[in-house]
Amino acid sequence: MNSGLPILSILIFLPLLGGLCLFAFRQQEAWVRRFALGVGLVELLLAGWLTWQAGTLANLPTTDLPGFFLLEDLPWIDRFGIRYLVGMDGISLLMVLLTAFVTVVGMVVSWQAVRTRVALHYALLLIMASGIMGVFLSLDLFLFYLFWEVMLIPMFFLIGIWGHGRNVYSAVKFFLYTLAGSLLMLLAVIGIYLLHGAQSGIYTFSLPALIGTRVDTGAGLWLYGAFLFAFAIKFPLFPLHTWLPDAHTDAPTAGSVVLAGLLLKTGAYGLVRFGYPLFPEAARTLAPLLMVLAVTGILYASWIAFAQTDMKRLVAYSSVGHMGFVALGIASWTPVALSGALMQMVNHGVTTAALFALVGMLDERSGTREIGAFGGLWGKVPVLSFFFLLFAMASAGLPGLNNFVGEFLILTGSFRGHHLAVALAFLGIVLPLVYTVRLLQEVLFQNESRPLTLPDLSLREGSVLTVMALIDLYLGLHPKPLLDLLKVPVALLTGGTP
Amino acid sequence: MTTADLWSLMPLLILAAGALLVLLLGALVPGRYPSVIAAVTAAGVACWMVMAPPLASLPGLGIALTPFARLFSALFGLTAVGALLLSLRYNDRQGIVGEEYPATLLFSLFGMVALSMATNLLVLFLGLESLTFGFYFLVACDRSRAASAEAGLKYLLSGAVAAAFTAFGLALIYAGTGTLLIAPAMQAALSSANPTAAAGAGLLLLGVAFKVSLVPAHLWTPDVYQGAPTPVTAFLATASKGAALAALLLLFSGSAGSGSLHGPLWCLSLFSMLLGNLAALRQAGLKRLIAYSSIAQMGYVALALTSGSGGHGAVAFYAVAYSAMNLAAFGALAALADQGGDRLEELRGVGYQRPFPAAILALSMFSLAGIPPTAGFMGKFLIFAAALKGGEIALSVIGILTAAVSAYYYLRVVTTLYLRPAEPSSPAPGDGMTAAEYGVLGCAGLLIIVLGIFPSPLLELIDAALR
Repeated sequence: MNSGLPILSILIFLPLLGGLCLFAFRQQEAWVRRFALGVGLVELLLAGWLTWQAGTLANLPTTDLPGFFLLEDLPWIDRFGIRYLVGMDGISLLMVLLTAFVTVVGMVVSWQAVRTRVALHYALLLIMASGIMGVFLSLDLFLFYLFWEVMLIPMFFLIGIWGHGRNVYSAVKFFLYTLAGSLLMLLAVIGIYLLHGAQSGIYTFSLPALIGTRVDTGAGLWLYGAFLFAFAIKFPLFPLHTWLPDAHTDAPTAGSVVLAGLLLKTGAYGLVRFGYPLFPEAARTLAPLLMVLAVTGILYASWIAFAQTDMKRLVAYSSVGHMGFVALGIASWTPVALSGALMQMVNHGVTTAALFALVGMLDERSGTREIGAFGGLWGKVPVLSFFFLLFAMASAGLPGLNNFVGEFLILTGSFRGHHLAVALAFLGIVLPLVYTVRLLQEVLFQNESRPLTLPDLSLREGSVLTVMALIDLYLGLHPKPLLDLLKVPVALLTGGTP
Repeated sequence: MTTADLWSLMPLLILAAGALLVLLLGALVPGRYPSVIAAVTAAGVACWMVMAPPLASLPGLGIALTPFARLFSALFGLTAVGALLLSLRYNDRQGIVGEEYPATLLFSLFGMVALSMATNLLVLFLGLESLTFGFYFLVACDRSRAASAEAGLKYLLSGAVAAAFTAFGLALIYAGTGTLLIAPAMQAALSSANPTAAAGAGLLLLGVAFKVSLVPAHLWTPDVYQGAPTPVTAFLATASKGAALAALLLLFSGSAGSGSLHGPLWCLSLFSMLLGNLAALRQAGLKRLIAYSSIAQMGYVALALTSGSGGHGAVAFYAVAYSAMNLAAFGALAALADQGGDRLEELRGVGYQRPFPAAILALSMFSLAGIPPTAGFMGKFLIFAAALKGGEIALSVIGILTAAVSAYYYLRVVTTLYLRPAEPSSPAPGDGMTAAEYGVLGCAGLLIIVLGIFPSPLLELIDAALR
């Protein structure tokens, strides 16, 4: 489709522009909040409209790239063959929708919680949304790398400025971990660029062109290894996950929501969009490693989650486990498993964001996140407890809710050829059930340990959680529209590989 | 001498006349305007270079007005303007008065411009030495602080040794090749068929390595950076580094690669990246931190040089980007640390008290760390692309790993500015900034962003200059 409007650029740069505008009236905090939310909602509407149109868009064979229905291609740094090449297929669309949604959620949950430097907070959220949009839409490796690094900076400040506990330590750890990974990826990006240039005489960073590069086995393993390392840190894949619990624990609620909902997804997305297509052979060779790490992560994270006394840490470790499932789905690289992995990215994004939001709301009310400090909430704050129960069960994979669909597809799609891995991963479905039930029992049902007087959800909190609950239900009962969106790109991606 | 010759000598004449005028007027009517005249003169040279007439060469004098000279002289001139504007308020506060400061700065600039125009090894040497000579004085000119005099002395002593090495190297090259013209002499020296000249080239490299502070000739850097008045440090870290890089480019331009000097350059690069980055981790003072980081940064530049002529464009780009970054960093520091102190702890929470200079400082730190979309990232990208293309894979990987380490200390500065609360007891730092400081910091900050996003125009200029 070419309507003349650079829709993708608007998606990428509107939040950045909105974020910069906030500084103009940074003293009027009420207006800062409304303006930022307005920008977020416009972005969400745009993404929603694109999804609505996706059926019609997908049928139009209007771009040169199969599977992509929107493309923008402008020269940028000509001498190195760097172009401003952004495109949208079903996978990007899904991620863009998730990004716009989670950004709005992040704004709503920090409405009351953030009282200092409000304009800076909302500006950082918006700038981060820009960076993440860019990551999900870039089809030029250089551009992708640029957005990939840019999205780190706002998160660093979010954790560092509004976080609590050892926030500075966690912010720096987060930044250095991810930077270390991505710097090696930079070398690999240059490597594949030079390799392709030497073969074809055309020096370009464009992904569609680079996919055809012949990479011999040894070089491929190194280059893919560098990509995998960068993505695995973001994932976070065991044993590179240690930054995540710290970052989550000390981040403010909005930071946790965006971190879990979006940043973790960029690693998986990068692997699907760049890692496998660029180095199919090396990816196949290293798939068993990825699978072993994924399964280890699932089991290990569930085990550790069991021992947590801080609710946020518990949810953080459960994230590591859930992302392990995504990694498993990607590692098996069958159409069913890959669709499941992509679905699961959305599911986990919504559900875990909701859980972090709930923990944040409890923290705001009581000043503590210790599981032991609560008890008997069911009788005191019924609405909050209801949502807590719902999202916890969704996270544990209750059939009828969204996470079940993703996990089911991943396990089904991976079963052929990977019996042992799937059998072990299945344990990873059972274990979360155990710690979730324990969490629910202690927080909601058993006798209260301390007399806490808590107000129930406000209208603002209730409505955002309702929307998320409806999404969970909808995706759990009727995931077909999303799966349809993924059908073409997944088929194209898995076409040549078993 | 024809008019055309005179025309191509103009930049040097402007500078010489300007320096004399500043000295004379300063003696007649005391005041602070000598700095302004000096700034105008430097700006004049930069303008002359931008609009300079077609190429001219003066073989008799060993200089030529090449596109290369135009690019680098414009850079030096603009950096000098920046340093002069930054020093207006700083010098008032520190009690650095008098016309000798701006006049010496112009004299230093004279050396840089002469160097960038050199076609003869002797002119190159004279340029290098006269620019360093100016710095001996500039570093020591803050009479109210003993550290300044001490730094000047340190710079003088180690600089004299380096000059001796350079001179001996030149003598050996002349003995080996019988010419002092840069192109043929260096071609012969680098081909390693001529051991005398090759040894001379090695000594020459060591002498220039002192100016760019590559390990093992780096020992002066932290002390001098710390002791010198902050605007002088800014000038030292930008224009003088740029001039030394220009010298390296001139030396290596005649031959296809670094030839017989590949091994030594490789080692200089490796040890500079390792030692610079590791030592910077432990610094408590911001100036010392940037000093050690500059050693590391020059290690990356040397990495681009090892990969042969493919890396020369990257070196030139980095010289410009590095000037913008350091001018921003030291300019912000001059505006922030009003008492002349530079301990990192004093900057706690300053990000909210002094938003503009703090933001510029943070931006320059992100740029030095190589985070996009900044000039520093683009520079590192060019360097690593050139290095990988040149086959320097091992050194590139080491370079990337040390760059990851470097992010830690750059981030520490940002952390101190924004993530740590200001001490309640400490007085709110500093008075307002002058318009000149706003201008310099704003331009440098803008340049960091613009070069990071649209590097193409500068790259084209560099292409023309290196052809």
